[in-house]
Amino acid sequence: MATLTLENISYVYGPRTPFEIKALDDVSLTVREGSVTGIIGHTGSGKSTLVQLLNGLEKPTHGKVMLDGVDIWEKPREIGKIRFRVGLVMQYPEYQLFEETIRADIAFGPKNMRLSEEEIAYRVKEAADFVGLDPLLLDKSPFDLSGGQKRRAAIAGVMAMKPEVLVLDEPAAGLDPQGRDTILNGIRSYGKKTGSTVIIVSHSMEDMATYCDDIVVMANGKVRLSGTRDEVFAHAKELTEVGLDVPQITRLALLLEERGVCLPGGIYTVEAALKALKPLFQ
Amino acid sequence: MGEFFIHAKDLWYSYEENDRKMPVLRGISIDIRQGEYVAILGHNGSGKSTFAKLLNGILEPEAGALTVADIDLASPELSDDDIFKLRRVVGMVFQNPDNQLVATIVEDDVAFGPENLGVPSAEIRQRVDEALATVGMSAYAKHEPHRLSGGQKQRVAIAGLIAMRPSCMIFDESTAMLDPAGRREVIQTFEKLNREQGITVLTITHYMNEAARADRVIVIDDGRVLADGTPYEIFADPGRLISAGLDVPQCTSLIHALRGEGVKLEGEPITPEECADLICRALEEKKNGNAHA
Amino acid sequence: MKNIALGQYYPAQSPIHRLDARIKVILAILYIVCTFLCKSALGFAVLALSAILLILLSRVPLRTVFRAIRPILFIMMFTAVFNLFLTRGEGDPLWAWTVTPKWTMQIFEEGIYSAVFMVIRIVVLILGTSIFLTYTTTPIALTDAIESLLSPLRIIRLPVHEFAMMMSIALRFIPTLMEETTKIMNAQKARGVDFAHGSLIKRAKALVPILIPLFVSSFRRADELATAMECRCYRGGKGRTKMRVPHLRFGDFLSVFLMLAFGTGLVLLNYYGFGYRM
Repeated sequence: MATLTLENISYVYGPRTPFEIKALDDVSLTVREGSVTGIIGHTGSGKSTLVQLLNGLEKPTHGKVMLDGVDIWEKPREIGKIRFRVGLVMQYPEYQLFEETIRADIAFGPKNMRLSEEEIAYRVKEAADFVGLDPLLLDKSPFDLSGGQKRRAAIAGVMAMKPEVLVLDEPAAGLDPQGRDTILNGIRSYGKKTGSTVIIVSHSMEDMATYCDDIVVMANGKVRLSGTRDEVFAHAKELTEVGLDVPQITRLALLLEERGVCLPGGIYTVEAALKALKPLFQ
Repeated sequence: MGEFFIHAKDLWYSYEENDRKMPVLRGISIDIRQGEYVAILGHNGSGKSTFAKLLNGILEPEAGALTVADIDLASPELSDDDIFKLRRVVGMVFQNPDNQLVATIVEDDVAFGPENLGVPSAEIRQRVDEALATVGMSAYAKHEPHRLSGGQKQRVAIAGLIAMRPSCMIFDESTAMLDPAGRREVIQTFEKLNREQGITVLTITHYMNEAARADRVIVIDDGRVLADGTPYEIFADPGRLISAGLDVPQCTSLIHALRGEGVKLEGEPITPEECADLICRALEEKKNGNAHA
Repeated sequence: MKNIALGQYYPAQSPIHRLDARIKVILAILYIVCTFLCKSALGFAVLALSAILLILLSRVPLRTVFRAIRPILFIMMFTAVFNLFLTRGEGDPLWAWTVTPKWTMQIFEEGIYSAVFMVIRIVVLILGTSIFLTYTTTPIALTDAIESLLSPLRIIRLPVHEFAMMMSIALRFIPTLMEETTKIMNAQKARGVDFAHGSLIKRAKALVPILIPLFVSSFRRADELATAMECRCYRGGKGRTKMRVPHLRFGDFLSVFLMLAFGTGLVLLNYYGFGYRM
């Protein structure tokens, strides 16, 4: 529904002070409309800064963030409207819950958009559905929920605004495998069902390999690699050079290659590895 | 000291929720020897953290026997002094790196434990310097904790325990909030402590590759011990792990899938290196076999 | 956000930085007494000079030092004007203006002196305490010093240790909570909260989604911290030792001696000094 483009973005913390840090350095990027795009990189690679530029929480020092070809900072007074179009879920979002019930909390964003009561009620239900939140939980207090449920409720709170671009910073941080799968599946289904563009920031290459269509690799404030999942994993060696943890199966493929076992490049799932290895044993 | 450093037999614990008892531990029996490196694995809500909290007296067992460092924690006569004694030998590192550092300067925080124990000042100084060196944070002695990375904060927390000279350290999901680099720092630190100082290490986690590094893995599900053995024994049964809501390492899945296709593979590799060895060996044998035929 | 400076500690190597924090607390108190002992024109001149000397000794840049005065500039002006017009002298007024038949504004010589003295006194008071207590002493050293100085009060069951522990935990967590506030604010901004526009009531209302999560998280932190502290064998001040045992050095004694001498000098100036006396 919307294309997000970054044009020569730079961001400097504390400009003209002794603490000056260049967090982003001439980043240009186009996020494919309707895709689930993963941004991966180390702490300090600039990915968390990038996220805050996308919905106008911070303004780039240089360059433009373009939404459907229009600079989001064209009318600074209307940056609030941009924030409804580009939804941002911060790290550990469960700590932003504040209403008496989960229902009211999910409705908070849509209410700020001044939607009608019926529309809000509908959106709350829909968003809760996306993240797999039991409708029975909606009337409970956020404090009666488990950590994973709170996380889902907080994500639903942003989904309910139906942003054309949904950005999530480490949505699965600290969750166990089940919790992680539920949330990432929910996020992916939101993107695919509404046609929205989804951007997920993560440390986990394995999650990226499972849930993203496109991947952007950041290092030292710059884009190091970007493209479809297959394209990026074809450069698996470069990923390990940047010091990123590639999926275990990719590391196995690289090790086998070193020992002279010929495999096609870009293996990042068990299925692909199985398909590649099976013929060798026949 | 008895045969086991930690001896838990048929241990029960329940939380109260709306006046209803919700059992979290349903008869857990675990024995751990001094110097072991054990991973306790389970999904959220499996009871693994509750078990950890019983071990140093944060929670009290409801039923069953529990002895840690020769202190009977299930005894009705358990005194505050016993708990104090227990905690100087069993240290605990928690999940949130921010919420366990007390002081505004790193070295003062490390000194906090020994100060509580009433160690003489000169010795505290020496212990603090040693502890910071052990975790590789000497260069940060005068720093403010809030300027450190998550991994560094956890290492300071570990140093704070080392300075108390414990014989056992429990890591209650201490890597869950860290990035991969921080996670590596913390794991390397406690593995070093286990190897070099013989400290018993218990790491509570839901990360499979972390558990795989331990000498022994205990899988907890629904308040009971589901499996207990070496990582090789545990990963030999991927179905059991999946049923406990856990991941299976990709290499393990691959080996099992290949076996399903009729490929003969001996052994249970855990790391990609072991897995590559195994596959190469099998391919070699196959080549030789074909040559013979 | 990680670079917020707590208090106004200015890291430097100076004779004042090196003094024991307890001594600095005592020096600050003595210095305050000195400003009140001063009653003669010469005395005030000496006092002002001493403040300049202190600043130079502390190696804190002048611009940083005068930042401490900015917040009280208004009070200073008010006091000066107040003294200027309301001090009655014995001689003829230097200046008079009849506003209404019943009310004449007058300035006496004494008024001018009094205004100047008051300003010097306030400036020196603020500068002196800032130099001793905030610019050259870290907040934590100050807390420890206060704990140590108040420790005799434990006899009357004043929770001196607990108070100091509270202070130091507060100091430890202020940066963390500030970071957290920014994070929560950003999260709510992303859900359409507008903090910058609208009426006062609207803006106050916009604070609710910040304050509630902040409170909840503070309580959670407090709870976790308490558990962590207990697990590190914390049982209050009883039986506790300290890593840092401050030792008083020659410089510490000398500084107190100099300050006492300075105070005595000021008193003597009141009797033997030249010029105007209060």
